[in-house]
Amino acid sequence: MAPGEKIKTKIKKNLPVTGPQAPTIKELMRWYCLNTNTHGCRRIVVSRGRLRRLLWIGFTLTAVALILWQCALLVFSFYTVSVSIKVHFRKLDFPAVTICNINPYKYSTVRHFLADLEQETREALKSLYGFPESRKRREAESWSSISEGKQPRFSHRIPLLIFDQDEKGKARDFFTGRKRKVGGSIIHKASNVMHIESKQVVGFQLCSNDTSDCATYTFSSGINAIQEWYKLHYMNIMAQVPLEKKINMSYSAEELLVTCFFDGVSCDARNFTLFHHPMHGNCYTFNNRENETILSTSMGGSEYGLQVILYINEEEYNPFLVSSTGAKVIIHRQDEYPFVEDVGTEIETAMVTSIGMHLTESFKLSEPYSQCTEDGSDVPIRNIYNAAYSLQICLHSCFQTKMVEKCGCAQYSQPLPPAANYCNYQQHPNWMYCYYQLHRAFVQEELGCQSVCKEACSFKEWTLTTSLAQWPSVVSEKWLLPVLTWDQGRQINKKLKKTDLAKLLIFYKDLNQRSIMESPANSIEMLLSNFGGQLGLWMSCSVVCVIEIIEVFFIDFFSIIARRQWQKAKEWWARKQAPPCPEAPRSPQGQDNPALDIDNDLPTFNSALHLPPALGTQVPGTPPPKYNTLRLERAFSNQLTDTQMLDEL
Amino acid sequence: MLLHISPAYFKLLHGFLPWIMPTNGNLGDKNFQMGKPGHREGATMHVKKYLLKGLHRLQKGPGYTYKELLVWYCDNTNTHGPKRIICEGPKKKAMWFLLTLLFASLVCWQWGIFIRTYLSWEVSVSLSVGFKTMDFPAVTICNASPFKYSKIKHLLKDLDELMEAVLERILAPELSHASATRNLNFSIWNHTPLVLIDERNPHHPMVLDLFGDNHNGLTSSSASEKICNAQGCKMAMRLCSLNGTQCTFRNFTSATQAVTEWYVLQATNIFAQVPQQELVEMSYPSEQMILACLFGAEPCNYRNFTSIFYPHYGNCYIFNWGMTEKALPSANPGTEFGLKLILDIGQEDYVPFLASTAGVRLMLHEQRSYPFIRDEGIYAMSGTETSIGVLVDKLQRMGEPYSPCTVNGSEVPVQNFYSDYNTTYSIQACLRSCFQDHMIRNCNCGHYLYPLPRGEKYCNNRDFPDWAHCYSDLQMSVAQRETCIGMCKESCNDTQYKMTISMADWPSEASEDWIFHVLSQERDQSTNITLSRKGIVKLNIYFQEFNYRTIEESAANNIVWLLSNLGGQFGFWMGGSVLCLIEFGEIIIDFVWITIIKLVALAKSLRQRRAQASYTGPPPTVAELVEAHTNFGFQPDMAPRSPNTGPYPSEQALPIPGTPPPNYDSLRLQPLDVIESDSEGDAI
Repeated sequence: MAPGEKIKTKIKKNLPVTGPQAPTIKELMRWYCLNTNTHGCRRIVVSRGRLRRLLWIGFTLTAVALILWQCALLVFSFYTVSVSIKVHFRKLDFPAVTICNINPYKYSTVRHFLADLEQETREALKSLYGFPESRKRREAESWSSISEGKQPRFSHRIPLLIFDQDEKGKARDFFTGRKRKVGGSIIHKASNVMHIESKQVVGFQLCSNDTSDCATYTFSSGINAIQEWYKLHYMNIMAQVPLEKKINMSYSAEELLVTCFFDGVSCDARNFTLFHHPMHGNCYTFNNRENETILSTSMGGSEYGLQVILYINEEEYNPFLVSSTGAKVIIHRQDEYPFVEDVGTEIETAMVTSIGMHLTESFKLSEPYSQCTEDGSDVPIRNIYNAAYSLQICLHSCFQTKMVEKCGCAQYSQPLPPAANYCNYQQHPNWMYCYYQLHRAFVQEELGCQSVCKEACSFKEWTLTTSLAQWPSVVSEKWLLPVLTWDQGRQINKKLKKTDLAKLLIFYKDLNQRSIMESPANSIEMLLSNFGGQLGLWMSCSVVCVIEIIEVFFIDFFSIIARRQWQKAKEWWARKQAPPCPEAPRSPQGQDNPALDIDNDLPTFNSALHLPPALGTQVPGTPPPKYNTLRLERAFSNQLTDTQMLDEL
Repeated sequence: MLLHISPAYFKLLHGFLPWIMPTNGNLGDKNFQMGKPGHREGATMHVKKYLLKGLHRLQKGPGYTYKELLVWYCDNTNTHGPKRIICEGPKKKAMWFLLTLLFASLVCWQWGIFIRTYLSWEVSVSLSVGFKTMDFPAVTICNASPFKYSKIKHLLKDLDELMEAVLERILAPELSHASATRNLNFSIWNHTPLVLIDERNPHHPMVLDLFGDNHNGLTSSSASEKICNAQGCKMAMRLCSLNGTQCTFRNFTSATQAVTEWYVLQATNIFAQVPQQELVEMSYPSEQMILACLFGAEPCNYRNFTSIFYPHYGNCYIFNWGMTEKALPSANPGTEFGLKLILDIGQEDYVPFLASTAGVRLMLHEQRSYPFIRDEGIYAMSGTETSIGVLVDKLQRMGEPYSPCTVNGSEVPVQNFYSDYNTTYSIQACLRSCFQDHMIRNCNCGHYLYPLPRGEKYCNNRDFPDWAHCYSDLQMSVAQRETCIGMCKESCNDTQYKMTISMADWPSEASEDWIFHVLSQERDQSTNITLSRKGIVKLNIYFQEFNYRTIEESAANNIVWLLSNLGGQFGFWMGGSVLCLIEFGEIIIDFVWITIIKLVALAKSLRQRRAQASYTGPPPTVAELVEAHTNFGFQPDMAPRSPNTGPYPSEQALPIPGTPPPNYDSLRLQPLDVIESDSEGDAI
């Protein structure tokens, strides 16, 4: 034989082109059911009687359906989270503490900007409510005389109006006393929440450029109206003042902080970093990262926390802008922006405010478990704050960006986006109207900010327990106040009073950190093992069965059909071409295969065991033992080569 | 088939047995080496037979070669993959072989993950919120001032005079010369003086003793030079040890802090020398402090309070501590069912330099636990009504190995000094005990603010002149705190009381008059008003609508979880179970057996070959060999062969003489017991 032929036959022998296990689909099914590893199928074939067979078919199908259903449930509930709460006892990082005076600027330094406004506000109050200037501001009289006879600048731009409920669409301008016709929409600041019974309401009108489109804002109480009105003008004025000047006009750290004590060690103004807030002036942050390493406490209790005494000079308060006295404290993360207006604990004067903290840390899982963002990079809003992402930052940034887009200028109480200016009348005469419209749209979620912004995935939260006590006590105030005055030294030239001071204690109540962590409830391993459990429970099936099913139902099935079709086509062709000579069908080979099962019997002990030749063979002249047993052996040796092949494979 | 197996098997057995039972000699020989009496021989025969049977059964197994074994295993195992390896064509065989291997390794990998997860001892947490009847928390109340000034004045007289002189000196240096002639006790002062550090010249800071010129008799350079305020000068405390040779300065940025800290240090020193009983008497008595008490609908009074002396706050009173009597439950939420207290703090009698805050310090804590009121307490202000809604926040940990915590503190290597109060373990107690322990070790005396172990003394200037320096060092030492934090463990059951605090003015303008009258009448039996707004505090403590929140840990992965997941994985990939593992183990044992058998056979054949090489005579015939094995019933009879010769005429034609007949029925030659075992093996 030629070597090529040899190889060919060898290949043919080793890799016989065996088709499916059965010639027909029915045979295939029968073969599958008998040989499969799953349990139900076999019973269909072996059962006797139609009823039983039907029952078993039913059972098997039910089991398959159950498996599919349960596995679907498992897949759909894959992205669930389990929450674990852990409490660690450890050394804790002290949070950043931002302290602001409620009043933003010293009134004495800022008054020359606000003189006209103050004058007009007083007049408004006078004409609205008819009370004389009863405020006990020493200088008030002198100031009011200055702007006498001047054209009212502010109320001209935004007039304060009194509305009479009886006369729809009519309002009285209290400066001129003339009745004005009010067009456009009247927005009652409070009326959609509750009904106002009073006949007269106060409000102001905001108009766009051409004054044809006006919106009027009314308030149930004159206090709100005047404060809002004042605030609008105040923001407008302060927007034009440069930042350095504003910082100088506000309180210095030395002035605000009389004493400071942290973790048993003295600290002073140098431990605080300045943070200028547009509405609250100079704020000071303790334990900000910029300074040095983050301070931490290794003991709980008020001694080991931050103790500060603040100097709150009530005489320098702006009478119209703020109506409460004291300071605001915000406890936040070092890289977090302190939202002084939104969150913050207010501190009373002549009191010690003791704030005990508990730290809670939360970690959420991001996509696909929940809609949260790790660092805000996947939120399409530019962070205009110089701080880590938070939902609030996103909302404010979103609003500010929209404001710049729509109104062309930025709102004063939030940071400036790049290449934008704060709004003021000179450049943007109708910004206020624009702002109010935009603000309304924002509150009613029409701007889409709320849907774009996601919450942050991890956040730290300090739960506060605040309690108050009198400070200084009656007997200790006699010596305490002079010493504190001495401490302040040059900063102030007056004797401190009880009401000028506020004491603040911020401390960890204990060093337990509570962390709330979400973790995936399911892992891939769990899912697979649950699949395995389901498959095993209903049908004693495994991945192997699945492969079997694929093999039998998708490969063999179609190959049988294809073979059938091929044969039919061939027959048809042969009949057409040469009717006398039909070609032998190809099927015998497939039919042969079941017969091979007999060969698959175990090899015999003797043949399988390659023992050394028996001793007897060494006898010379022994004829080859050619008995009938040998013939049987040949069959086994054939088999043996087969198994050897397997080994080689 | 047996026909073929038996000779080889026999031979194998023949070679193998001597190895197993060396004393018995060759099996083939009927004559045993050791001549034994008849009955004994019979007994050994029985034992031997029995052993042989067992041996055969073991050896039989599923086959005698690795291949047979493998084929048998694949055919009969319950796992799904191997079955398919043997029953199909070579291509599929290869595929299935690889698939089986892949699945097996997947199963192993996943099992590893599960076992590791199990051994990480994770916990899952269950949270429950609701209302149930619970024990009302223990309420500790203290006055912010530890002592009544009128009673403790005599102890603090020297110190107060000194303090006043210091204040005068700080505030008005030029004036103080006039009053400096006062008789001051400078022994206290000299021990730890306050100094002014003049930093106006940053390169040469000057240290000035506040009284430097007075008691030393030295005249200061000039009074005017000493005038400096907080910006120019810093106050500091000089702490010296080793008879004043080694000094450190503790700096303060503010004079207020400096004098307060100094005063507290000195006062501590004084109080440490006074027996506690006297101190208790100088503090506020319960009947004066607690004016009215109502728990639920039941009236209570100062007798329901347990007194405890707390160095910072003097006498503190604990309501519902549960030490001697049963803890009181509260079955309803709301103010009406809680504790209502009216307290008098007597602000006028405060120690002026010791307490600058006026109010009541209070704390809610668990029954039988020590109140660390200085750390966890809150204030209640005088002239107000403070309402405190309580939510009990309980945390229950699993303990080792799930979370590192201790049930009763017995395994913590710190002696609990608070155990004298018969209180339960808490981490605060541990940290403080640890500090006191360090204090005693380093400074040889205990700090006044912490409890004292037996046989030790509180620190004071007289007995331990260096203590202030030592204490200050220790207090500032971060390493000390870290060691303590490292040693102390959390308690497994942790209860916190979350409070919602609200305040209102009390008494109101309208009711003020009669309330003060009634209270004065009750307390002092006087018709005049002896109380004032500044001294009176009202407290309401009650359960909120939801009064508990329990966080309970449970094992996230228990053994059932582990087993079901292992089963799931094995089932998913291979359709296997524990029995399959046992099958596999069985196969491995068989495998080892086959190896042993093969090795023995090899050794035997080697030995035989060597023996043959040395054997000079003619080789033994088959008949001889056979006879050597079994010599019964051996008849080399050629006659029965004749009927069989018909189909094989060619064989008969072979004219080789002397050939032994190889076609004898080997079955017949087999020893009886072997056949038996064979059939039994098949049956099995």
